Amino acid sequence: MALARADRLTFTYPEASGPALREVSLEIEPGEVVAVLGPSGSGKSTLLRAFAGLVPHFHGGRFEGRVEVAGRDTRSIRPAELAGTVASVFQDPEEQIVLSRVIREVAFGLENIGTAPEDVVGRAHEALAAVGSEHLADRDVAELSGGELQRVCLASAVALRPQLLLLDEPTSQLDPVAAGAFLEHVAGLGIAVLVSDHRPRRVLEQADRVVFLDGGRVLLDATVSVAKDWLGENRPIWLGASMNARVAVQAEPVCRLAGVQFAYRAGLPVVENVHLELCRGEIVALAGANGTGKTTIAKLAAGLLAPDLGTAELRGRAGMLLQDPTRYSIRERADEEVAVGVQGDRARACNALGALGLAGMEGRHPRDLSSGERERLALASVLVIDPDLLVLDEPTRGVDPQRKAELAELLHAGAGRRATLLVTHDEDFAHAVADRSIMLGQEAVLA
Amino acid sequence: MRPAAALALLASLAAAALLAQHLVSVAVVAVLLFAVCLRAPAERRRLYLLGTLVSGGALFVLTPFIETIGSHPIWTGPIVPVLGQLDITHEELTSAGVNALRLVAVGFAFAAYALLLDHDGLLQAVRFARPAALATRLMPTLERDAAGFLEALRGRGVVVSSVRGRAALLSPLLASALERGLNLAEAMEARGYGSPGRTSLPRPRWRARDSFLVVLAAAILTAGALWL
Repeated sequence: MALARADRLTFTYPEASGPALREVSLEIEPGEVVAVLGPSGSGKSTLLRAFAGLVPHFHGGRFEGRVEVAGRDTRSIRPAELAGTVASVFQDPEEQIVLSRVIREVAFGLENIGTAPEDVVGRAHEALAAVGSEHLADRDVAELSGGELQRVCLASAVALRPQLLLLDEPTSQLDPVAAGAFLEHVAGLGIAVLVSDHRPRRVLEQADRVVFLDGGRVLLDATVSVAKDWLGENRPIWLGASMNARVAVQAEPVCRLAGVQFAYRAGLPVVENVHLELCRGEIVALAGANGTGKTTIAKLAAGLLAPDLGTAELRGRAGMLLQDPTRYSIRERADEEVAVGVQGDRARACNALGALGLAGMEGRHPRDLSSGERERLALASVLVIDPDLLVLDEPTRGVDPQRKAELAELLHAGAGRRATLLVTHDEDFAHAVADRSIMLGQEAVLA
Repeated sequence: MRPAAALALLASLAAAALLAQHLVSVAVVAVLLFAVCLRAPAERRRLYLLGTLVSGGALFVLTPFIETIGSHPIWTGPIVPVLGQLDITHEELTSAGVNALRLVAVGFAFAAYALLLDHDGLLQAVRFARPAALATRLMPTLERDAAGFLEALRGRGVVVSSVRGRAALLSPLLASALERGLNLAEAMEARGYGSPGRTSLPRPRWRARDSFLVVLAAAILTAGALWL
């Protein structure tokens, strides 16, 4: 018997022009790992929220059809009552942290579902250990990096020992090794998992089944091998095809870091003795495990931080895209937001929006855009200033493979005019875009 | 020290500052709270202390022009429509000093609460944890958001240094806080908040030191109301 079932589910958010999900029917068996793929805005997150009962209870809207989890109709019970049976991890870890100490944060859900007080701490530690983060137990969440926060959220969900685990982009901020280990761990839990990810390669390795959504409809519901054939034929880009690397012609250096050291707290340097040269015409990927100082180096290169020791030289103008796209919403229209960096020049802003596939959205409020669109709006806000050094910190977070391919093309097209430093955990994207890749401490030139 | 006891002490000091009538008494409380705030990391306490001191300074400067008390003028100025004759009396200056120090003391007490207290421990004792969690997280979240907005602007080559420029960030900061609040509420619901039979982590034992702090808090409050 299926653990969870959606039967002809159609759902429309309040004030939305059309349904986010259309006639979706799906069954999830106990212990099954199901990968939910699809472009941005295809309804993946909404589907996960429907299985958590958050749609329609939390969001309102028009709900037709039926969703059952463990034999219970989600319309007749509150999401809070489903917790324990179902656990969710959402896209942005910063927006789901409730408490300020890691151990208490992981314990929060356990307390809510009525775990015996003497078991709470033990289970919280066990869950942290399972995601490789036991060392964070006594830390303040405000001090953690995005990747570390994501692991804490994952631990909070795993601690509940749910029958159904709903993961919405759960590894977007994890380094490849940590992401692989996490997905392997999740697949080994023996519980049903519904996981949505824009980096499908690793998810497909662990999944039993694939559901592909587009426009709110299920286009494919099949085993992994059948799904790979289907993707190869219909959506080859989801299997990593058609993004080709290039070899840059290096010209004069634009940025040079020499013997750089930086510490956020005195005596605790995050990076030490960093040497890096970025030349006009090249795209350099900076990779490495979570917490190794990639973002710090990127900020030092862009001039957002000044080194404590060593020198940081920049010839020309730098522009940097930060990880969090919500930082690019200080104006009430998309075009005005993008124009902030070019003294309000709306014509240039509209061109930049068009280049990122956001033509027609000039008048929309940045906060009304989807997460993928917000990511592109943020990128447009930086690209519009036409910098000599472009620094991108995780630009593919929440971006589907089709958009990634377009972004790769865009970066290649403008690469000759600037030096580009790309901080990313997305190995496929780095391979497709970068001329060379730096693994903090060891450098390799990509073929 | 249990956070509830520490909160009682901070609240009593703030209340004592509001109730006390003498300039010196209020000043002593403010200095005491300032010393407590110095225990927080320098980079985090700067914003709170600066905001509090600027607010207190502004109140001190404006109060003599708004109040009309006392009969010992120090300075007599021109007649201004609506406000009447501008003057500053000895009594107005004293009153301005007391009010400004009261505001500063309350600000420092809040800073100590935001920067030094174990909010998780406090929430354990609060039945209505959702609003408490949202309220507790508001200031640190606004702090981080403000820094994030400014950094994103610098990444686009825009440096905001004027007060007017920073004030323009207030509206997006508020919108950002509301958006985060909604997302957090959704996450809490998904994690079972509000379901029946909630348990709680075992709380640390209430020690004699905590009882002493609560008694001290009551004494400070009484002193503030009756003698200071």
